[in-house]
Amino acid sequence: MLKKAIILTVCCFVSFSCVKNIDFDQAEGVVLTPTLESSLLFFEEPAITFVDNSGAEISTITDSVIIEIFSDEFVKDNLQKAILQFEGTNSINRSFEARVEFLDVLDELQHTLTFIVAPSVSNDEVITESIETFEGVSLEALKETNKLFLTLTMLPSADGSTLDSNSIGTLNFRSKGTFFFNINTSE
Amino acid sequence: MKKSCFLLIVVAFVCSSQNKQVLYGFNEIPQNLLINPGAEVNNDWYVGVPLLSHIHANVGYSGLSPYDLFAKDGRDFNSKLRDIVYSMDNKDVFAINQQLEILSGGFAYGNGYEKDKYLSFGLYEELDVFVYFPKDYAILAYEGNYNNINRKFNLGDLNVSGELISVFHIGYNKKVNKKLTIGTRGKIYSSIININSTRNRGEFITIPGTENFYRHIFNLGLEARTSGLSSLINDDNSEVSNDISTIKKRILFGGNLGLGIDIGFTYKFKNNLVLDASIQDIGFIRHKKDVENYSLRGRYEFEGINPLFSGSNGEQTAQEYWDEIADQYDNLFELKESNEAYTTWRPLKLNAAIKYTFGGNNKEECDCKSNSNDYNNALGAQLFLINRSKQPQMALTAFYYKRLFKQLRLKTTYTIDSYSRYNIGLGLSAHLGNVNFYVMTDNLLKFQNLAEAQSLSLQVGFNYIFTKNENK
Repeated sequence: MLKKAIILTVCCFVSFSCVKNIDFDQAEGVVLTPTLESSLLFFEEPAITFVDNSGAEISTITDSVIIEIFSDEFVKDNLQKAILQFEGTNSINRSFEARVEFLDVLDELQHTLTFIVAPSVSNDEVITESIETFEGVSLEALKETNKLFLTLTMLPSADGSTLDSNSIGTLNFRSKGTFFFNINTSE
Repeated sequence: MKKSCFLLIVVAFVCSSQNKQVLYGFNEIPQNLLINPGAEVNNDWYVGVPLLSHIHANVGYSGLSPYDLFAKDGRDFNSKLRDIVYSMDNKDVFAINQQLEILSGGFAYGNGYEKDKYLSFGLYEELDVFVYFPKDYAILAYEGNYNNINRKFNLGDLNVSGELISVFHIGYNKKVNKKLTIGTRGKIYSSIININSTRNRGEFITIPGTENFYRHIFNLGLEARTSGLSSLINDDNSEVSNDISTIKKRILFGGNLGLGIDIGFTYKFKNNLVLDASIQDIGFIRHKKDVENYSLRGRYEFEGINPLFSGSNGEQTAQEYWDEIADQYDNLFELKESNEAYTTWRPLKLNAAIKYTFGGNNKEECDCKSNSNDYNNALGAQLFLINRSKQPQMALTAFYYKRLFKQLRLKTTYTIDSYSRYNIGLGLSAHLGNVNFYVMTDNLLKFQNLAEAQSLSLQVGFNYIFTKNENK
């Protein structure tokens, strides 16, 4: 008696109600395309950084840093494009060459990025910008990157003048990256 | 077995808040006493058919229906999903509430000619899941911080709670006089599984930097508390049967225990004008056993890596600088675990109704004992409130009750709540001899295509009810 009533009730519900025109398979493959922006390297060096204790010029300074984020599995799988933007604000009366070398885990060079910061004759701020887009081969190189090697070279002046411990001005360097992701959950 | 599991899943899924607007006020169904312990009771004793006396399932989602998302309309799924994500806000919810009565019974007693007291008791299982839509997380996942400079991503948008409990209860109901009936129900909760992350704070924001293009600020105050979960997930044996026996023990007071009460009353202004109201689950659960809590706390600001060119000043290198940043970063995002006991409050529920009755029957019989419970029709309005972690949810219901003949009573409801503005519900209670069967559901307008419904509820149950005065 009870069983019959239950079956009857369930049948009633099933026959009166239905779910139409629904396709749950669509849910396979949600695609997300976030774009992340992040500050990268920055520094501020006064003119006297490029003068040693004896008063002679230091033409090249270098530094390196291991950055594992570019070769992270998630980045490798989902990063579609990256744009790196560098900006030098110079009030030193000398031009500079900034070189960023992208090295893999074996310290082998994958990619080089160079840009020249213009001199400031009047010691007013002179802004130089450089934008590099990483796609295809260069993107693959970026994804192999484990270390950034930064070389800052002060280029010889046009008039042969040199910096000394009284030289004024600073070099400001800023950089950011814009990272375009395409995340497909079905993959 | 497989079939019945499948059916249960279908019922649980399809029958999409905790509002039992159709059942509330249905005095001839004993389970009405679970919503209002101060309801009028008409029977002398009853016993619920074990496991079948009250099956309740309720699913609700504000802001979307499955049809919006899964309709076979040729539109690209991802663009539909995107539209929904952007149309919803952080007050939109997804809720599941399910109850299964394991045992129940009750009997009238008292010294007078008319037994004026009623004792009811039982054991039921309840599942309650309540998830707010994490809007800012979704926007971050869709857009990233690009084009969102200066936008505060509110990490408090993550607000999730879920619990599986068993409840043992004893209720006392007393007819004080012809006008007033009062009742209360004491409850012992045994929490089987509890997950809650409802007190999250903090934000992620990218603002223009001072030394570099941007300053990224992470201000994290995230916390999740669980009990009863880690032993089920982390145990070495993969035997499901062991987990089931653990759960069985917890149902019978083996879980984290808590206490609560329900209170309620019925007041008759006149024979045909009745006010009743109840508050359910004034109670807490203390989670001491099998507790695993996680937290992410701290503030971190980042503008990039500053190479200090050790070649020139011999101080710190960029690597050291970066290592320091990475350490701070890792510390910030390192989940801290604790086993600290915690207390959760049960979602407080309020029901109230005003009812006008008309069309009495059995006029030829002596009416001297009756309190004019005999009416064929009732019209009224109901209010339902439930306390949730961000804000209470409310529902307003208008109803019509009809007694067709002794054996069959119907109630139809029209409800406005946060899920929909046109929810029509229908319930019937059949009384064939001593057997009582009831079934009630809502959102009937959407029955032609359940996928379009934003909420659905279903209650089904069987009882044996014994009443000496069959007219009542």
